[in-house]
Amino acid sequence: MTDPTIENLETRCPRLGSPITFQYCLISGEDDTICWKVLDCWWERFDVENYLKSNMSEAEFNQLMARAEKPKNKVSSILEIVKEAKKRVEG
Amino acid sequence: MDERKILLREDEMPRQWYNILADIAMNPPLGPDGNPVTPEQLAPVFPMNLIEQEVSTERWIDIPEPVMDVLKIWRPAPLVRARNLEKALGTPAKIYFKNESLSPPGSHKPNTAVAQVYYNKEFGIKRITTETGAGQWGSALSFACAQFGLECKIYMVRVSFDQKPYRKSMMATWGGNCIPSPSPETRAGRAALEKDPNTPGSLGIAISEAIEEAVADESGQTRYSLGSVLNHVMLHQTIIGLEAKKQMEKIGQYPDIIIGCAGGGSNFAGLAFPFVHDKINGKQIEIYPVEPAGCPTLTKAPFVYDHGDTAKYTPLLPMHSLGHAFVPPPIHSGGLRYHGMAPTVSQLVDEGLLTPKSVKQKEVFEAGILLARTEGIIPAPETNHALAAVVDEARKAKEEGKEKVILFNWSGHGLLDLTAYENYLAGNLKDIVLSDEEIAEAGKIYADHPKPASLKSRK
Repeated sequence: MTDPTIENLETRCPRLGSPITFQYCLISGEDDTICWKVLDCWWERFDVENYLKSNMSEAEFNQLMARAEKPKNKVSSILEIVKEAKKRVEG
Repeated sequence: MDERKILLREDEMPRQWYNILADIAMNPPLGPDGNPVTPEQLAPVFPMNLIEQEVSTERWIDIPEPVMDVLKIWRPAPLVRARNLEKALGTPAKIYFKNESLSPPGSHKPNTAVAQVYYNKEFGIKRITTETGAGQWGSALSFACAQFGLECKIYMVRVSFDQKPYRKSMMATWGGNCIPSPSPETRAGRAALEKDPNTPGSLGIAISEAIEEAVADESGQTRYSLGSVLNHVMLHQTIIGLEAKKQMEKIGQYPDIIIGCAGGGSNFAGLAFPFVHDKINGKQIEIYPVEPAGCPTLTKAPFVYDHGDTAKYTPLLPMHSLGHAFVPPPIHSGGLRYHGMAPTVSQLVDEGLLTPKSVKQKEVFEAGILLARTEGIIPAPETNHALAAVVDEARKAKEEGKEKVILFNWSGHGLLDLTAYENYLAGNLKDIVLSDEEIAEAGKIYADHPKPASLKSRK
């Protein structure tokens, strides 16, 4: 069951360059978690911060904020992905 | 009568790229272990000649002749006087833009795609993999691979793949093999499909698939390519600003203000870095990277993190909600917080050589529509961020009665992004104000939804 007023709202994802629903933002982050840009992308449309706070534990919300505030650098991310890819290929 | 387009002849094209790393001090990028990244660590995914460019501090780097030859398909790109926009705004400002929408894929992206494919070929690489969101980068890389006879494999995030069939056709026409991600072709893709066969995919999975394919090729003839953020990408894009400087010299002008949209930073850097070089050497010039307005809770954070905590999970001080009444000004200071931002751009912000600006969604599309109706080109949605700042600066010039010269980068056209305009024109971007009761009610509904189970903690 979804909340049609919120989860079907559409915006343009700045990372993909495509229209996506709010629902997509909830599952498109690292390891299927919430995308760390969700606050930046939606705050103009509705009170996303309060909405998420109402639906996450304080610890989960704080982790999301931490990811948004201090994300990884790209080179480091690529090296992590390379390491994981090697494990999969060799494993 | 002033010329509308300022053109360069092919023999006037810049013969060297400008490398900003010669003029700024940068900390080396750190790997996941916290130690500086070595060229060898990057070797499984990039050819060594590009890695050498990535770390080079030579100020000027020759553009190889075969690269020049392909760039000449659409370069030199015209510098255009936006006279109709000036008239519409009644501004005394003189507004110019570099028209990067004229490349075959319709954006600035092939400026680096062409160079990257050339260097891969020189290194003996036969096949290049990449990921793409909406397909701009995948199109640029497919085009470049066609020019140099390399295979191109593109993992396109499923949700975009389904929405943008013409991008896939464009890539296929140039010989690119574009498949939806997750795919059954990689271990990463199969794992994602096993978890959820109907997953819409994500950039993270698509990158994992593209890199896995490069790493898994035991022949060593496959590499991965990235279209933004990295130093060598910024380097290749500087042809935009170097051409613009020559064109402005031709008409005896020099910009007071440079504006570009800053997503990953490459189109902005391409125009701005050659002018940053001038600024470092004493020129008076304002340079504005423009980004979407970030959530004020993050940009004006009333809380403090302990950044010494490498796990990044230190407790936050109590936060306040945005509330329903918070209305920031249309154009305000940004922070370039996007982690996809080029480190060189971030460094220049830190050094005070660039002044970030940010714009709100509605102003962005209003500006895009205005430019489409005055200058004729339908802008790519990301270009609209720069346009909103241009309009703002032009209005300021009017208020101040100053004949400022504004130069911006029209980074691409939006002919394959019309859904974004459709949504704007249909009024779908309007704000939704929820009462506390509605939010509480939404929470109840959400509690029954399977998705919250995926809101798991970061490992």
